[in-house]
Amino acid sequence: MREGRWASVTPLLELEGVWKVFSGVPVLKGVRFSLEPGEIHALLGGNGSGKSTLMKIIAGVYAMDAGTMRFKGASVRVDSPSAAHALGIYMVPQEPHIFPHLSLLENLGMGLPYGAKELSDRVRPVMEALEFHADLFEPAAFLSIAQQQLLEIVRGLLREASVLIFDEPTSALTFREAEHLFERMRRLAREGIGIVFISHRLGEVMEVADRVSVLRDGVMVLEGPTEALTPHDLVRAMLPEATDVPVEPTERRGTTGSDPVLEVRGLSSEAFRDANFRLYPGEVLGVAGLVGSGRTELAEAIAGLDPHARGEVRVGGVPLRRLGPAESQRRGLVYVPEDRHAHGIFLELASLYTMTASILPELGRVFLSTAKEAAVGRRFVDSLNIKLHSLWQPAGTLSGGNQQKVVLAKALATRPRVIILDEPTRGIDASARRDVYRLIRALAEQGVGVLLISSELEEVVELSDRVLVMHKGRILGMLEGEAITLERVTEASFGNRGVSA
Amino acid sequence: MALLLILLVVATGFVNPNILRFKSLVEILNASLTLVLIALGEMFVIFTRGIDVSVGAATGLAAVILGTTLNLGWPVGLAILAALSTGVLAGAVNAFGVTFLRVPPIIMTLGTLGIYRGLMRIITGGSWIENLPQSIKDPNLWGFLGVPFFVWATFLVLAVTAWTTLRFRPARFFYAVGDNEQGAYVLGLPVRATQFVAYTLAGLFAALAAVVYTSQIGFVSMNAADGYELKAIAANVLGGVSLTGGAGTPLGAAVGALFMTAVHSMLIFLGVPGIWDNAFAGLILLLVVYADYRLRRALELQRRQARILGEGGGSGG
Repeated sequence: MREGRWASVTPLLELEGVWKVFSGVPVLKGVRFSLEPGEIHALLGGNGSGKSTLMKIIAGVYAMDAGTMRFKGASVRVDSPSAAHALGIYMVPQEPHIFPHLSLLENLGMGLPYGAKELSDRVRPVMEALEFHADLFEPAAFLSIAQQQLLEIVRGLLREASVLIFDEPTSALTFREAEHLFERMRRLAREGIGIVFISHRLGEVMEVADRVSVLRDGVMVLEGPTEALTPHDLVRAMLPEATDVPVEPTERRGTTGSDPVLEVRGLSSEAFRDANFRLYPGEVLGVAGLVGSGRTELAEAIAGLDPHARGEVRVGGVPLRRLGPAESQRRGLVYVPEDRHAHGIFLELASLYTMTASILPELGRVFLSTAKEAAVGRRFVDSLNIKLHSLWQPAGTLSGGNQQKVVLAKALATRPRVIILDEPTRGIDASARRDVYRLIRALAEQGVGVLLISSELEEVVELSDRVLVMHKGRILGMLEGEAITLERVTEASFGNRGVSA
Repeated sequence: MALLLILLVVATGFVNPNILRFKSLVEILNASLTLVLIALGEMFVIFTRGIDVSVGAATGLAAVILGTTLNLGWPVGLAILAALSTGVLAGAVNAFGVTFLRVPPIIMTLGTLGIYRGLMRIITGGSWIENLPQSIKDPNLWGFLGVPFFVWATFLVLAVTAWTTLRFRPARFFYAVGDNEQGAYVLGLPVRATQFVAYTLAGLFAALAAVVYTSQIGFVSMNAADGYELKAIAANVLGGVSLTGGAGTPLGAAVGALFMTAVHSMLIFLGVPGIWDNAFAGLILLLVVYADYRLRRALELQRRQARILGEGGGSGG
C-alpha cells in the first residue's frame, strides 16, 4: 500500500497539446485540460475563446487536428458521439436534444439496447436519485427546459457516464431551477463523477466549481482551485491582454432635463411585475439581470409583442396600447430581438432585403425603386462597416457579426426614436462587437433613446448612462454615474439590494 | 379520423342504403388496397421528414416488370419476385440520392418519377400490356368468408407493419430521425441508414401495390397508378402522419387511404355526376383535414390547461 492512494488518483480525463483549426484559423492552440473523478471543473472563456470546441472534441463531435487524449490513463481516440458514450463521456448540450413527439421514456431509451420493461426499470432509480418527477409516457414536448436538461442528464447516467459535460446549462434556466441543478451536480460529483461546467457567469462558477480553467483565444491562460481565485482574477484572465478595454470608456451623461422619449408605467406580465422607468433622448439605459429575471419579456412587452401584458407604454408622450410591432415601429420604437435567426433576418434572401424590409413604403408605392433601395443598403454598409461581397449576397452566408449589423440596419432604417437592443453582441466576434459599441454610442449622440439588454455585464457597465437592475421579475433599482461598476451591477443582479431605488 | 370515416359512410347510407350492404363495403375496401399499400410505404419516408413523389411511378414500373416477365412465360412466383426487386431497387435509387448524394427529397423523387415513368414506356415501347396469364388474375378471385384474398393479405401486411412500428426497436429510429435529426445523430443512431431504409421500404410497398393492382385490373396501362403519389401523401396527412416528421401510425395512414377511396365511392352512391368527382373529393379532403386540425388543437389546449391547473405552484424538478 502506497501512501499516494488519494494523492495520485488517475485523472478521468487528460488532454494535452490539443490543436484545432477551422478553415485556416486556429481555434485551439495546444490546450491542456484535465478532469479528476468527483470534481466540478469550470471552464470559462469569452465568445470565440474555444471552450465549446474543446468540449465538442472531448464529446466526439469534432476530431482534434493534433494532441492526445487519455481516459482513465489509457490513450483513446474519440471520433464520434457514440464512441464518447461508449467510454462514459456524455455531454449535456446547451439546447437539449429531445424528440418532441416521442414520450419521455422513448426519449431516454433512444440509442440504448434495452426493451421497454428493462428500460423503465433502469430509468426509475436514476430519476428518483435526481428527484426528477415526470410522467414517463407524456410526450417530451411538454417538458420544461429544466426538465429537458434533466432528461439529458438521465441519458448520460444511463450510459454509466463517468464524465458529464454541461455546456452553459443555466443559460435558459430560472434562478431557482439553476440552484436545483447545482445541487444535483454536487451530488453527482460526490458519487465520483467528473463534471465539466461551462459557464460565463462568474457567480455560478465561484459557487459550484472546485477548480477553474480559463481559455482565451484558444490558449489556457489560467488554471487553479476556486478557493485560491477571486472573480477579479477570472475577469482579468478572460480579457484580451494588450487592449484591456475595447473602446474608449464612456463619458456617462446624467439625464437631461428634456422630456422622456419612452416612459413605462406599471407594466406587468407573467414574467415580471410593475415595471416603471423613463428613457431620455440621447441616453443608453442598460438593463442588467440574470436570465430568467424577466429582461427579455420586459423588452417584448414594451415592443408590443406580448398580448397579455398590462400597463402603459408611452413613446414621445403618446401611449402605445397593445398596438403590435407594426404600429410601435411607426411611432418610432424598434425592437432588435435576441434571436436574430428566429426573429430578425431573412437568411436565404439578399442581405439588402432584410435591411430595407421595414421601410418598403418609402421605396415606392407599388413598384420598388431598386436604385433607392440599393442606396439605402450602401449607406448602411458604409456606416456600419458591414463586410459583404454584394448587397445581394444571402444574409445566411455572412458571419454572425455582419448578420447582426444587417439586423441593426433594418432597425435603423426606420429612423427610430427609441431602440431596444436585446443581447446585441451575442455570438459575434471582437471587431464586430467594437463596431456595435460604436454604433450604440453614435445613436445616443444623435438623440435616440437606447434600451440595452445584455447578460454580459461588462457590456452594460461599459456602455450605459444608467443601469436598471432586474431580479426575479422585479426592477430592484437604478444605478447611476459612479455607481455603475462591474461589482455593483453583478451584486445587484444576484439580488443584493445595494442600489438606490 | 376513423370515426369521421364511419360517420361519412353512415351519412351516405341515409341517402342510399345500398352502400351499407356488406358487398358494397367490401367493394370499397377492395378498391382501396393499392392506395393503402402505397401510403404505408410513403409513411416511412414521411416519418423521417422526407417526401417521396415517385411511389406512383415505382408502382407503375413494378407492374410493367410483372406484366412483361409474365408474358415472357415466367412462373407467377418468379415474376412477382422480379416486380418486388424492381420496387426495392427503385426505392434504393431514391435512398441513395437522398442520403448519400444529399439531393433534396422532393427533387430526387421528382427526377426518378420522370425516369420510372419513362422506363415503363421504354420497356413496353409505349403499348399496354394485355393478355396476362390467368395465374396472376386468379388470386383476385380467391376469397374467404366473402372477403377477397387481397383484402386479407393487405390486412396482414398492415398488421405486421403496425406491430413492427410499435414494437421493433429500430423502427423507433424512423420517428427519432424525423423528430430531431441532429439529436438522433448525437445519440449515436444510424441516421443515414434509417433514411435509406425508409425510401427503400417505400419502393417495396409500391411493388406490393403493383402486384395487387395488376391482378385486380388484369392489364397494365402506361398510366398505371398515375397520381397515386399525391393521393398517398394526402392519405398520410388525413391519417395523422405529420409532414414535419416524427409522428403518425400505420393504422392512421391506412385509414387515411381508405378514406380517400371511400369518398369516391360515396360520391357514386350519392349519385354525383362523374365530372364532379375530383372537385368534390378535393373539397371533402380539405374540410376533413381542417376539422381534424381544429379538433386536435382544441384537445391539446385542453390538455395543457389541465396541466397548468394541475401543477398549481409548480415544482423545480
